[in-house]
Amino acid sequence: MRIPELKRQYIWGIVLIVYLTAVLVPIGAPFPMSDITVEIYNVIGSLKPGQIVVVGGAWDFAFDLESSAAMIPALRQLADRHARIVFAPFAVESVQYQKYVMQASGIAEEQGGTYKYGVDWVQFGYIPGLPAAMVGFLNDVHSAVPADVYGTPDDKIPLMNDFHSWKDIALWICPHWSFDVVVRYATAEHGIPAIYFAQAAAYSGYSPFMMAYPDKVWMTNGFLGGAQYEQLMNTTGLGHAAINAYYILSAVLVVIVILGNVDMISKREKKEEKK
Amino acid sequence: MKMSSTITYVRNYLARFLLIVGLLAALASWYFVSPQVDAVANTMNLWNMNIYNFTLFVGLITIVIRYSDGIRKRVKNWPYMAYGLVLIVGWIIMGEYLGLYSDFYQSAYLSTKITLHIAILGQLVFFLVSASYRVVRIRTLRTAVFGLSMMAMVVLNAPWLLGVFPAADKISYWLLNNPSMAGGRALLLTGGIGGVILGIRLLLGLERGALKSTER
Amino acid sequence: MISTDPFIWISAFFTICSFTLLYGDNPLFRIGEYTFAGTVVAHGFVTGIQTLYGNYIPLFQGQDPMAAISLILAVMSLFIVWKKYAWIASFPIAVMIGVGTGVSVRALVSTDIIGNITATISEAGLILVGNPADGLGYAVRVIFTIVCTSYLLFTVLHRGPGSRTMSYLRTIGKYFFLVYLGLSVGNGVMQLSGLATSAINRLLVSWLGLG
Repeated sequence: MRIPELKRQYIWGIVLIVYLTAVLVPIGAPFPMSDITVEIYNVIGSLKPGQIVVVGGAWDFAFDLESSAAMIPALRQLADRHARIVFAPFAVESVQYQKYVMQASGIAEEQGGTYKYGVDWVQFGYIPGLPAAMVGFLNDVHSAVPADVYGTPDDKIPLMNDFHSWKDIALWICPHWSFDVVVRYATAEHGIPAIYFAQAAAYSGYSPFMMAYPDKVWMTNGFLGGAQYEQLMNTTGLGHAAINAYYILSAVLVVIVILGNVDMISKREKKEEKK
Repeated sequence: MKMSSTITYVRNYLARFLLIVGLLAALASWYFVSPQVDAVANTMNLWNMNIYNFTLFVGLITIVIRYSDGIRKRVKNWPYMAYGLVLIVGWIIMGEYLGLYSDFYQSAYLSTKITLHIAILGQLVFFLVSASYRVVRIRTLRTAVFGLSMMAMVVLNAPWLLGVFPAADKISYWLLNNPSMAGGRALLLTGGIGGVILGIRLLLGLERGALKSTER
Repeated sequence: MISTDPFIWISAFFTICSFTLLYGDNPLFRIGEYTFAGTVVAHGFVTGIQTLYGNYIPLFQGQDPMAAISLILAVMSLFIVWKKYAWIASFPIAVMIGVGTGVSVRALVSTDIIGNITATISEAGLILVGNPADGLGYAVRVIFTIVCTSYLLFTVLHRGPGSRTMSYLRTIGKYFFLVYLGLSVGNGVMQLSGLATSAINRLLVSWLGLG
């Protein structure tokens, strides 16, 4: 039987219908909870009030959007634990990304939360020169970053009176693609535990770090990890929306690949018939 | 006026001297305990950070020159270049006046560049599905291995399988944390070896790469 | 209900501009393309100026006059765009390459090379310890790591003693690597799917108020 070859425009139309359906008709696709996500939840849950957590890294906002699915509920959990948060952007767009997740979490006073700027959290401006900038930051924060994003000198920020170097960091959370830099300098050189809300495409490349430092490095896996973290924090967001769409897309992709192989086999048979 | 060969020689070796001092200071500050070495390393680190900051201005200069030339010569797409230049000027004025961290600037950036970037990356799924139709075909052993691994991961991550086969989640993590992780580890190992060799070649002056582009 | 926020309308416009590429090259896509390029460089410039103020506070306040040297070096780096005087930029570029390489090399040695070798050796010792599923996992990790590393290190065909063994190892390594690539790409589909969801969500839910 000969199945007509699918033109790419028809395939694009099918994919568009998939996304329209997924967005307009939320399926509420179920997904399992992974042990590693629960472990990360427990690591953040074991933080003591007042401990300093650095949320930092570098990459493009669009790639890091996947991490925001887990980062936003994690910020709420950090607020529940009364941990102090320092945002350290090592890329140009990381400033905007960190502002986005902070606003979306709603924990800051400006968004109706309880976190006061300068006391409970600080946002630095762009710190150029990764990876050397990371080394400088860890050795002497005040020299590497003399002021925050507003231009206020460090000595005028209450939180910065307790944050001078890597010794003051209890945990590093990286919602950006540059997790390798965090592991190499913060974890490997100074033993700082590190959590990575990994992008799915980056998971394979960075999972060796999780195996090399099993008690200090933890990673979630893409939007699935984000949806799991949202569930642990009793909320919904981009993670759940992404899993809903993936529910249908994965099935369509399997069918498309099967059709492609059937098309190949039928063309081969036709060639052999001609011979 | 052509530079004398002595001055050319001095500036070439001065650049290499700076490179070697920066490299050795960064290494020595880690492997040796010495306040003097730490001071040199910290100073060079701060210089490095400030120089990196200025590279942001190079992009603007390059684009302005390119677009201005394009508009002057009326090349294809010159109206879009003119639009680009006007946008750049307006954006800089807005950014300087309102501040990088202001809500208005954030909204403007999210609704333009970030939206475009997310949409461009999201579009890739359309191309991926249509490419899978043509590429993920079991023609040879190689394509079979690649195709089956890829589809196995797609299916094992799929929520619809988990209702029928709950162990799929454990299998997908096993695959990610064992064979996939090992491939990533091999890449890190060999990449690390390559990086160290590159560093040694730089130290010995065998690698002239980026510095050569600025030498005349 | 359709949104009245102008930023949502701008966002929807540019999302549509981007998706028109599926139809083919067109003026809307060009507008999106040049908006992307323009905002990237302009944002970089604004960020650079802001960082300048922050980083040079000690210099402006007279606390660290030596910072003037880094300012001079940084200004020299701008000469890279001027072909005739590009050699002036070789000094700051040398600092960047030197410091960056020094910092990278020390981390590559301790983390990427020694860290991964240590992990592989410790996993080899755990193959026969504990439950069989874990043992199988450790065995797969060790074998895959050794074979894939051989494939990457000996990409060029080795001639001489042991060449037959090396060629088998390389062939097996090639297929193990294809498994790694297939699994990575398969896992990455979830990322692209989620980003497409975000883009279409912005159009249908945020802009048109549907769903």
